Amino acid sequence: MNTNLKISNVTKIYPGCVANDNISLEFNSGKIYALLGENGAGKSTLVKILSGVIIPDEGKIYLNENNLKLNSPLDAKKNDIGMVFQHFNLFETLSVFENLIIDSDEQRESVREKIDAIMKKYNFSIDLDIPVLNLSAGQKQKVEIIRCLIRSPKVLIMDEPTSVLTEQETSELFLSLKKFSDEGILIIYITHKLKEVMQLCDEVAVMRRGKLVSVSEIKNENIESLANKMVGQNLKTIKKKKAKTSSDQLIKITNLNFTSEDPFETNLMDINFSVNRGECLGIAGISGNGQSELFQVLSGEIISEKNSIEFNNNYIGDLSPQERREYLMAFSPEDRLEQAAIPQMKIFENVALNNFKSSNFFNNGLINENKIKEHSKKIISDFNVNTDNIELKSQFLSGGNLQKLIIGRELITSPDLLICFNPTWGLDVGAINYIHETLIKINEQNKSIILISTDTDELLKLSDKISVIHKGKLSKIMNSEEVTSEKLGILMGGAN
Amino acid sequence: MIKIVKRDQPSRAIFFFTPVLAIILTLVAGGLIFFILGFKPFEALKFFFIVPIADKYGFSELLLKATPLCLIAIGLSFCFKSNNWNIGAEGQLTFGAIVSGGVALLFYEQEGFYILPTVILAGAIGGMLYASIPAILKTYFNTNEILVSLMLVYVSKLILDYLVVGPWSNPEGFNFPETRQFSDSAKLPLLFEGLRIHAGIFLALAAVVISWFVFYKTYLGFQMKVSGFSLKTAKYAGYKGKKMIILVFLISGACAGLAGVGEITGPIGQLHREISPDYGFTAIIVAFLGRLHPVGIIFASLVVAITYLGAETAQIFMQIPKYTGQVFQGMILFFLLASDYLLFFKIKFIGLKK
Repeated sequence: MNTNLKISNVTKIYPGCVANDNISLEFNSGKIYALLGENGAGKSTLVKILSGVIIPDEGKIYLNENNLKLNSPLDAKKNDIGMVFQHFNLFETLSVFENLIIDSDEQRESVREKIDAIMKKYNFSIDLDIPVLNLSAGQKQKVEIIRCLIRSPKVLIMDEPTSVLTEQETSELFLSLKKFSDEGILIIYITHKLKEVMQLCDEVAVMRRGKLVSVSEIKNENIESLANKMVGQNLKTIKKKKAKTSSDQLIKITNLNFTSEDPFETNLMDINFSVNRGECLGIAGISGNGQSELFQVLSGEIISEKNSIEFNNNYIGDLSPQERREYLMAFSPEDRLEQAAIPQMKIFENVALNNFKSSNFFNNGLINENKIKEHSKKIISDFNVNTDNIELKSQFLSGGNLQKLIIGRELITSPDLLICFNPTWGLDVGAINYIHETLIKINEQNKSIILISTDTDELLKLSDKISVIHKGKLSKIMNSEEVTSEKLGILMGGAN
Repeated sequence: MIKIVKRDQPSRAIFFFTPVLAIILTLVAGGLIFFILGFKPFEALKFFFIVPIADKYGFSELLLKATPLCLIAIGLSFCFKSNNWNIGAEGQLTFGAIVSGGVALLFYEQEGFYILPTVILAGAIGGMLYASIPAILKTYFNTNEILVSLMLVYVSKLILDYLVVGPWSNPEGFNFPETRQFSDSAKLPLLFEGLRIHAGIFLALAAVVISWFVFYKTYLGFQMKVSGFSLKTAKYAGYKGKKMIILVFLISGACAGLAGVGEITGPIGQLHREISPDYGFTAIIVAFLGRLHPVGIIFASLVVAITYLGAETAQIFMQIPKYTGQVFQGMILFFLLASDYLLFFKIKFIGLKK
């Protein structure tokens, strides 16, 4: 039987952000659909709506012409919509079988027969009686899939399923998904990995900033075209004036590795690069490819080997962020509200977060409030932060003003190197331009920047050199004049 | 119709109003319980909350009970503000009392101005030592400080039991489980003739002032504030997380230890099994009722101290078990947590219009 799933005019608004802006989509069984977009594009919200976890503000969902009321995940299950989340929902200490029957009201024996039949049909081999904690990530995922299959779903939604899988496990998963699709299960595959979309899917819907950007057949697309749609801005190539090339090396990263114990983090492999004075090195890539880890290694939140980072002829790989600041490095992290600033604290208190010895913000362990306030006022006027009240809690600043405050705070040391991560993410055009001008000015003063960004346009505009990070590895470093967005797109997708 | 709406930002007025609301709700619920038990609610509440502090002696008793609660809660506020869940203050109090009691016994029948400060210092150090166990285990072995600090409470009580029954028991004490009485030089001076209120209250007041100063005026306090809001930000700013965890535990332990000293060198004057009616646990309620703010904690400690006194009066005059006091403490915490919901949500009354 054919399954037809229709999403009609779905809107979901969060305070300060439209997660889904009037999305309409139609899916038919027999095909595998990709829902593609960057982190924060709204795809997770959409599939959570489909699986009943989130209730949309507006819009309807139809399955075979029936209007579904999805008020809870249970409703989704009842309506034959199965979902495998990125993070597993399994009880580690229970056995595989216990995990599978936990939400089933059928007889144990009959479920067991059903499970055996499913495993045989799709060539899964998992011992049902060992605890889940002994399984590999790929096997755990199979357990989740079996849990959906027991209910013979009409729709199966997979949310970023390969983020924890090995190559081998990934190709096994793809084979299974194709089989399910041949049997008439409608498959929706959520990802930001372009290569996988090309390999697996028949049709692709791209989302960006809460909006549906395009729906097309895979055969009419290629990795670059999809990358452009995903990242947006089909590319005005305004570049900054090329700085006079200096050969005065400021920072050099040698054989830097980082291995995380957290399977949802990306390992960094053999990172090598250097930045000269007055230069901006852009690091492109689709989010989740190791940018966050690279930023933390550079800022000192993650300590690495002493010799792996050489800054201004000092080895600083084992120093903390505060110690690195004393060597005139500055950092602007991606997450403004959770990391770079504390929304519940006042503006001047947030300024004091960048504490360096010569600031005299704290003397003999005491807070020197006058000094901090004086600096804060200067930042507010120098960096055009739209308020004159430094006692204001920073949660009342708009994203753009908060980012100006953060950049301003980081620049009060007049650092030799500013490392920023998605500095204009989520900002309006005016604020973006201001930040860009500020960054260009830094370069003109012969200071350096490492700009980690998922915004290709921004990178091409600001960088002197560009490299692409993919799965924790950096591509070779290119002069930005030689780079086109197409070329970046290919590298971002993982091709050579 | 009633609709519950999420607040855009927590309201500051509500922040200070909810503790008051919690106390009001506790009184209402308490009255209801008394009514069900067959007492006149208002009369019972009067016996519970007004009679005990109506005279000079009662008021002195109130301050006496509030002193350790305030002291411990101040210490705990350092931990709680920086997201360290030390719930073992009772153990730190007990161990502080053991160490200072031991020192006081060393000076048995001796006199000297130096004895009392030594005893007090010993208590603070004892509390710090005991608090350093969960702190070090947390920072270096990733254990859960809630479990460790809680379990250590029972360990300390057993050590105290062993000491007062065994090696430290009073040789002339007819095998009662208690030590000798401390010499006068090892005791905190009484403030007024005939009342039990003692100089320990100055320790509590000093703790209030010092903690206010540290929280709001020092770099250390600033770092604690930042870590409490966001550990990610603290890491990014380069604060030394581990050192700070240990430090707040030490401060908290020192305060609890001092509270222990206050009890044994004040009203008790010796070591025995029952040196604290769970002040260390009740102080957790005090800390939160006072919103972890030094001044708030003063008021909260007075309010909660009444429940100790009221329970005793109620037992005498109304033959209600004194455990009613704990019921009231429980209700305060319960209603406080419940009304904290209002911090993040507001209730809207909407007409019956569509």
